[in-house]
Order: sequence, then structure tokens, then C-alpha cells
Amino acid sequence: MNDYDKDSRGGGRGGAKGAAKGKDDKAGRRGGFFRRRRVCKFCVEKIDYVSYKDVKVLTPFIPERGKIQPRRISGTCAKHQRALQVAIKRARTLALIPYVTD
Amino acid sequence: MHRQYELVYIAMPDSTEEQLAELHQQVVTVVDRFGGTIERTESWGRRRLAYEINRQREGVYVLEILNGPGAMTTELDRRLRVLDIVMRHLIIRIDEVLEKETRTQTRRKAATVARRLRRGLPAEPTEQELSRRKAEADDADGGDGFGEGDR
Repeated sequence: MNDYDKDSRGGGRGGAKGAAKGKDDKAGRRGGFFRRRRVCKFCVEKIDYVSYKDVKVLTPFIPERGKIQPRRISGTCAKHQRALQVAIKRARTLALIPYVTD
Repeated sequence: MHRQYELVYIAMPDSTEEQLAELHQQVVTVVDRFGGTIERTESWGRRRLAYEINRQREGVYVLEILNGPGAMTTELDRRLRVLDIVMRHLIIRIDEVLEKETRTQTRRKAATVARRLRRGLPAEPTEQELSRRKAEADDADGGDGFGEGDR
């Protein structure tokens, strides 16, 4: 009895969670404008090594201020964001990219 | 244990050809002493710096690809830091990343071929497919909204 109870509760909770998540997703869209699904540029273009030498590749990820654009904006995947971060920092030391721009 | 490194240095913009040659010679000497080799030297020429270094707005960029032991990089690093003509330098190890890159690329290619064969298609895309894919890519241009940052 006890065992059965536990099992059912666990299952129920899991199910509820899944359902709630689905609802949240919809609610996000309901709120107003529809956000286009963001994709990682590096995955799409199949770039395996982000080089600090390709300033052209890096500049789209550096907004006006000179900061590194966050993942939540650019849509870059975690793996490539890490690589991008290293590349940008290297490019900065070589004065290919500014640290700050006012 | 020999590894591959990439060295980039920025020399003063007013340095002469001879000075640059001498600088390169110094790098060669250090590399030789450690039993390494220089695979390639690339001169990027004068470039505008993104910010001022030593009150200079420009610099002469040189890239060298070296093979050698790790001790070589420590020595190079020390030497380059001492030289006044070198404004900035960077040494990074590249053998591992390059290997990884080629590995993933070959794996990806093999996967594509396997997938195509499973579907009963020839291993390589046909002329027709390539032209169609190109047309699709042209259509998508400007509409994907990607990488269109503030700059």
C-alpha cells in the first residue's frame, strides 16, 4: 500500500510537471509577440573551431559597447559560446577587437 | 614531446624591414635551440589597432606556426616581453584543437555519406541537388535574422 502510494505520487508529480512546462511554453507565446526560434550560428555553419583571427566571425557577437553578447540573445549553443568567449578574449589581447567602446 | 603552437606578435609601426627581419631571426634562433621547427610565417602587415598600445594606433602583425617543446614557448614569451619593438604577443597551443576539428569534420562527413547510402542515394550529392540547395540558400538570405547584431 505504502509502496503503491509512493509510486503513484511520483508518477503524478512527473506528469504534472511535464504538463505545466507545456503550458508555460504556450503562455510565453500568448503574451504578445512571437519570438523566432534561435539557432546557434556555429552549429548551422558547421564551424568546429572558432578562431580569434577571424574578426568577421566574431564581430556580430560584440554589440556596440564591446561586451560579449549573451547566449540568451544570440542563441549560440553552450559549447560554441565557450569557444567564442575564448576567441573574443584572445582577439582582444591582440587589439583586433576593443575591450570597451564608449 | 613536440607540439604545435601559434605565435602572433605586434611590432611597432615605425619598425623597418631590417628590424622585422632581425626579430624574426631571433624567433628562429630560439626555436632552433629547442630543436623545434617553423612551419609557416605569415605577415599580416600594418593593421589598425582596436585600441592604443604604447601610444600607437597601428601595428605590424606577424603570425608564426611553430613546432616544438613547451619550454620553447616559455623562452619565447620571456624574450618577446623584453624586446621594445614588440608591443604585444600571444602564443597558443593549436595541435589539439586542429586535431579535434579535423576529427569532427571527418566524422560528420562519414555520417552524411552513411545516411545518404541508407536512403539509397549516391554518396556524393548530385549536381541537381547542389544547384537546388544553392537556390534555397539564396532565398534564405536576409530572412534568417541571424548574426545581425548592432554592428
